[in-house]
Parts: sequence; C-alpha cells; structure tokens
Amino acid sequence: MNIYNISIPRYSRRHNTIKMSIPTAKLKKPTLKVTPSSRAMNISTSGILRLNRSATYARSINASVSRKSFCLAADSKILEKSSVQTPKHTIQVLDENGKDVTPRPVYQPDPAAVQSKHSKIFASDTSGGTMSDFYSTTYQTTTNASFAGAFTRSLFGSGSVSIGSQSIMESMSEEIEDPSSKRDNSISLSDVQVKREEVKELIQEEMLDDMVDLYLVESDTLCLLDMPAISVSVDSMEAESVKERNSRYTELCKNRTGNDKYMGRSMQTFNGASKTKEVQSEAITMADAATIANNWDMYDSFCSAGQGEVDLSTDTDKASIAEMIHQNHGPTRTMERTMSVISSSTIVSSSSSRMEMEPFVVPSESKPDPELILQSEEFQQHLFVMERIILENIYQPKLAAYRQLPTLEDPDSMPKAVPMVVSRREESSLDEEGPPTPALERLWSFSCELTTGRNVSSMAWNKRNPDLLAVGYGQFAFKDQKPGLVCCWSLKNPSWPERIFTCQSGVTALDFSASSASMLAVGMHDGTIATYNVQSREKTPVIDSSDCVHKHTSPVWQVRWINHERALSGEDKGEALISVSADGRISKWFLRKGLDCIDLMKLKRTRNDRFKRQVGEKERKSEALISRQAPGLCFDFHPTDSNIYLAGTEEGHIHKCSCSYNEQFLETYQAHKGPLYRITWSPFCSDVFLSCSSDWTIQLWRQDLFTPVLGFMSTQRAVYDVMWSPKWATVFGAVNEGRMEIWDLGASILDPTIVNPASPGVKLTSLLFATETDCVLVGDSDGQVSVYQLKNFTAGEGTQVGTLEDIIGSTLASQL
Amino acid sequence: QAEVEETLKRIQTHKGVIGTIVVNAEGIPIRTTLDNSTTVQYAGLLHQLTMKARSTVRDIDPQNDLTFLRIRSKKHEIMVAPDKEYMLIVIQNPSE
Repeated sequence: MNIYNISIPRYSRRHNTIKMSIPTAKLKKPTLKVTPSSRAMNISTSGILRLNRSATYARSINASVSRKSFCLAADSKILEKSSVQTPKHTIQVLDENGKDVTPRPVYQPDPAAVQSKHSKIFASDTSGGTMSDFYSTTYQTTTNASFAGAFTRSLFGSGSVSIGSQSIMESMSEEIEDPSSKRDNSISLSDVQVKREEVKELIQEEMLDDMVDLYLVESDTLCLLDMPAISVSVDSMEAESVKERNSRYTELCKNRTGNDKYMGRSMQTFNGASKTKEVQSEAITMADAATIANNWDMYDSFCSAGQGEVDLSTDTDKASIAEMIHQNHGPTRTMERTMSVISSSTIVSSSSSRMEMEPFVVPSESKPDPELILQSEEFQQHLFVMERIILENIYQPKLAAYRQLPTLEDPDSMPKAVPMVVSRREESSLDEEGPPTPALERLWSFSCELTTGRNVSSMAWNKRNPDLLAVGYGQFAFKDQKPGLVCCWSLKNPSWPERIFTCQSGVTALDFSASSASMLAVGMHDGTIATYNVQSREKTPVIDSSDCVHKHTSPVWQVRWINHERALSGEDKGEALISVSADGRISKWFLRKGLDCIDLMKLKRTRNDRFKRQVGEKERKSEALISRQAPGLCFDFHPTDSNIYLAGTEEGHIHKCSCSYNEQFLETYQAHKGPLYRITWSPFCSDVFLSCSSDWTIQLWRQDLFTPVLGFMSTQRAVYDVMWSPKWATVFGAVNEGRMEIWDLGASILDPTIVNPASPGVKLTSLLFATETDCVLVGDSDGQVSVYQLKNFTAGEGTQVGTLEDIIGSTLASQL
Repeated sequence: QAEVEETLKRIQTHKGVIGTIVVNAEGIPIRTTLDNSTTVQYAGLLHQLTMKARSTVRDIDPQNDLTFLRIRSKKHEIMVAPDKEYMLIVIQNPSE
C-alpha cells in the first residue's frame, strides 16, 4: 500500500510555446475536460494539437520499477490521446507555428525480445488503477489497441515512465508502417514488461528481509468524479441568479421557434467502430481457510516466537487467517502459521509469500523410527507408570488393607464367591462370644522369577520411605553358595523389584542408612561389605570393601548404621557402619581414602565354665581351637545409649560391650546352648532384650540380670529370627524353620498367640514388622517375601510398657 | 533395549490385561497384542479422545499438559499414556 507521490507538472512552466486551453495544476479540471476531449479525439481532424513534444521532454523509459513520481500531466493525456488518433493519418505533428514537434520514440523496441500475448498488455497493468477508469471510456479506437497498451504501459507503468513525445512518435511511426510492428510493439511491451517484472522480483526478494519504512502521508486530494448538482436550494445565495437564468432560458426557448436568430442545422458524427475484445485469464483459485485458535495454541506460539515484535493483540486477529491443516500436524502447523504472521512485516505481499513458503520451511518432522520410539526414555517412563497402574488395579484391595483403608468393592465386578465367604465369616464371628481371635491374613508376596529358589536372608525398610523394602538373598550354609542378589521392592509393584543388584556372593546382611536414605549397606558371605546407592540406576556398588586390608574374612552376619551422638576419639559424629562377622570381629567402617575399618571388639572365646561339667568337656578343653575368636552372629546397639551394644556369638554367649572399651566385655550373658541368631532390644523398655538361637528357644532378658527372665519355646526347631513389634510392647514375632509365630506376652507367656505354618518344603528365614501398619513380612527359603496383616489384634498401646514390666516383675517374683 | 522388552512382556502377562497397543504419531501400530482391526479402531478413537482431553487440560491452563488418561467402563479399564511421538494403550479387566 504505497502512497504515490503524484506531482502535477506545470506545463506552462516548461512549454510556453503552446497554447494551453487547459489550466494546469488542478486535476479536478481535467475530469471535466475528459469527455470533450474524447470527442476531440474522435474528431481527429479538428484536433488542436496540443502536442508539443520537445526534446527536453523526452525521457527514457525507466524500466526499473522504482516507485518514484511519474508525471501525470492531465493535459498531456489529452495531447497523447489526440496523438493517438493523429498517427492514423499523419506522422508529423505540427503545432500552430508550423514547427515540427513530432515526438521521437522514447524506446527502441528490441525485435529479439520474446513475444508475449496481447492480453498481457492489459493484464499486467497493475499500477494506477484509478487512471484506467476514465481512460477506458476514452479509448474507443481499438485498432491501435497495442498503442493504447503502449500508452497505458508507458503512462501507468510504475515508476518514472514518462512519455517522451519523440519516443511515442517513433514507436507510432514504426507501428503504422506494417502490421508486424504491432508485434514489435508487443515485443517492446513485453520487453518492458519483462524488465519491469524482473526488477519487481528483485525488489521482492530484497525486500523480504528488509525492514521497510513506510511513511503514510496525506496526498493531494484526487477527485475522481465530480457531478455538479443540478438543483439549487431555494435558500441559497445563488438561488436568485439561478432563478434568473432559468427564466431567461425559458424565455429563450419560447423565442426560439420562428426566431431568426436560431437556425436548425444537422451534423453527422463519426461513430467509432467498436470492437469487442475478450480477455481470458486463469481462474482465480480460492481456498477456504479456517482454524480454531485455542488458548493453548496462542500460548504456545507466544512462547516460541518470543523474540521481539510479538504483539498478542494482533495475534488473535491473524490467527483466523491461518489455514486448516491435517489434524495430526494441526497444532504445530497453526503455530507456525501464526508465528509467520506475527513475525512477518506488514507488507501483505511478503507475508502472503511467507505463508506459502511456510510448508517448505517447516522443519521436516522425520517420522521417528518405531524402534527409536520403543527405546526412548519417555517410553520407558510411560511403561513404568503403566505397569504400576495396572498393578494398582489388581492389588488395590490388598494395598488398601495394608494401609488400613476400607477396601472398596468394585460395583461392576461379578459377585462370585464373595457372599459365601462373608457369610462364613459372619457365622464364625457370631459363634464366638468373645472378641474374634487374632489372625493373620496373607495379603500378597514380593516375588518374581529372579528370586525363586533363593533364600531370603535379610530384609530392611528404607528409613525415609517406609514403602521401600530391600531384601537380600543368599544362602546361610557354606555349601551351595551362589551369587547373591539384593532387590529393592516398592509397595507399588509387588511383582517386579525396582532395583536389582547382583553381588558376587550370597547376601547375608542389609541395612539402610538413616542419614543418607539412599545408601544401602550389604554384607556378604565372603566377608565383603558394599554400599549401594539405590537412587541411581547403576548396578555396581558405590564402595566395596574387597580392597580393604582389614576386611572380614568370614561371612558378615549383620551390618548396621549407627548414629553416634558422642564423638569417639575425635572422629566426626555421624553415622558409622558397624558390622559383625564370623571371624570374631566387630568392626566400624569409615571412609578415609577408601573404605577402612577399625575393630570395635574382638570376640574372644570365653570358657563356658558353668556348663562344662561333664567328662566330655575336659577333652574338649584340651582340643586345639581353630581360632581364638568366637564367630559373631548378631549385635544390637542400645536404643538410647549408642555406646553400649550387645553381641551374640556362635557359642551362645551374649556379650555386653562398650564402644569406648574394646578390650573386654562389660558383661556376658550365658544361657543359650547354640549359636545366637538374633538379639534385639525392646523399643519400649530400655532394659529388656530378646535373643533367639538355634537351641529352639527365645529368651527374654533384663539388662541387670544374668539369667533370662523368660524363655519361650514352642517347637523343636531353630529360631532364625525374632523381632519386637514396633507398635505393642508385649508383642514380638519369631520365625523358626517351620512356622511363624506372633507372641503376645500380655495374652500368654507360654504359647504364641498366632501361629502361621509355612508352606511345605519351604523354610521361613526372616521376619520384619512394618512400622506403620499392622503387617508382618516373612521371608522364606524360596525367595518369597509374604506380607501378612494382623487382624483382630487388640493389644492396647498405652499400658503396654507397664504390662511388660509387670510380667517381668511377676515372673521374677515367682522365681525367687 | 532389553529392559523395555521385558517390561512390555511383563505388562502383557499381568492379571486381567486384555491387550497392549503402541501406536506412533500417525496411528500406525508399532506393537500390539490384539488383531489389526481392533488395534486400528482403538488407536483411531483414542487418538481423538486424547487430543480432546489434552486440549481441554491446556485450555484451562496452558502451562499444564496431559500425562495420563484412564477410562473406566463397566467391563474394562482403558489406560492411555500419550506422548508427542507415540501412544501407549493398555486394556485391562481389573475385576477378573
């Protein structure tokens, strides 16, 4: 939308030799004169040659399309018109003085130029549409259509195409001679056209990238049509004069008939031969375009096109221009389109060309290889989430029970055997008069194909996320050792562990750190201690003790992260990893240029003087001992005083030791006749601890008494694991080879309250209470970790400690 | 990788899972355990629904985006994990 700066030539300034009947400088007037002049055109003979084409006026047709002003001499138009007519008859143009003012041709047509269609003459006329309007009325001669074309070309040609009189005359002269000149002219025309178009193109390309400054100025008023009024208001000032004129005219008309002043006369006019001209053009293809501009669509384009001149307000308008595209690429394409519209300059042509270019500029969305999709990170993540959701669907009732939420019945599920079970339970509960018996309900089990056949040796909850469980798999016995396995299970996926670590030898001990919750310490059968970072996906341990000089040489039976409040020998407070192993050492590990340990205690063999009274013992005494140290099997630090700990050995002794004194035991408790598998302090009573061993018994001790307060024996099987319940002070669970037992000392001190036998052929090896719910986990020798829920367990909480102490007190009292 | 294959296989063998479909952005199935006509039908319909759901979510808050879609019906549950380049569909009968 360029504004043409139109300047009107002061004709009189230049050529005062010509009598101009047409005033200059007012375009308005020429419009009035158009019709008379067209008549003048027809009456070619009467033509007053207005043409004065002096040499000075000649200017070469500037074929370059620079939008400079071009001379639109109103009068020159008329002159030219008449000149159009005259060449039909004469070649020379003479003015009043007889001077030869024949215009020389401005432009020499190039015969070698490509011939183009005649239609192009009019079709390629793009400029000055306003002028063509009133010219069309004037051009009634069509024999020189090409001429007219030439004139339009030269007249309206964009840029400083001005018509030199000589050039016109020359071209005209050339034309008239032979019809072929028409072709020439057209050639010339086409030439001009071609050149013009070329130049136009150049501009287009350059201008695409440029910032074009457009100045909008107010142009002079162009008056295109002026139809003066034929009636005047009665009130106006002219009314009087008009009335007078009217009356005079009527007088005149009256007087005309029979008046000698007026004589009728007839004339004959030449009517121009008309010719129809047809133009054929290519059909304008129309395309419907529409789009839906969504909230997010605009947001996307705003975000991605955010450098500089983005105007959101124009966005919404321009979004409607964009095309509708195939649905798949819809969002991206519309975004691109709106982007192009936003970022393009305001030149319509360039923006439209841009929109056409866009489909090619869009970065080719290469179809990702299906294999690439399958291996992408996002796909794995999606699979992971999907699996958890599927399992949630499957395990929802069980998980809800675990969390002690009411289970929701699926209303659409087929009510198969459910009603029967319910009725039975109702019956059974109705039968009993007292409260329903405590029972175990098996919820689910953590197992997968990797773990079948492996012996569960230890289990540990994560300290920060109580839903993460680490399970270590390794054989206890020396024979059939195979590479161990550590699996981290999440409650959300009971069918596949989140992390799998394979270790060189069987895993015998596990513990999660409390300070850095993703550190997992693993003790193995060959004495190696390794720590894993469960957050990372790496399969290798963070650190390994296999290079350590003082590493354990026998299976590590227990590892524990202990938080020392009091600094020992100037070392920093914090967590330390303590381990006990069958080589008789309790070591504390720390990181100093690699993993290194110091011995907290060496478990020396103590002579069981009290029990060795038989004859056979004497022989034993004289036997050479393999090692002076007793294999340590378990230990437990005091819950409140982290300096004191208990260690159990294979001989059956429990030693109370202190961290600050590593030469001798503080106390020794002897009662068990076989290796001690587990010692654990009561979380509620700080003086009481439990121990279990392979001599089929579980013993309850008090710190200050050297004989156990209570002993529990239920079957003649070695008890592998015992653990206090974290919720009830009088409850503990024990696992022996054939069954799992829950003891409630408040209910009975002779028999376990709940007994759950193991499946045949499977030995139960470890036990773990869940901290926040009433669930117990039992690991067995087949690699399964079963989760059981304690139901109808009504041991109250508050009075528990008191109850336990009462029990102990009463027992002691009865003993004395 | 092998992990992906394993996970896919595990999903397919879980209790109640009727079918698993992975289609690319054009609706061509990459992996499927159902027959072709069913797969194509599921893919086409779910693609449109996912588009609509995503449009809804983003219209409300353009910074948000759809991550998962679950349709629970009387008989099954259809779970769709949409992405720019693919779509993962699993049909499960949860109450089997």
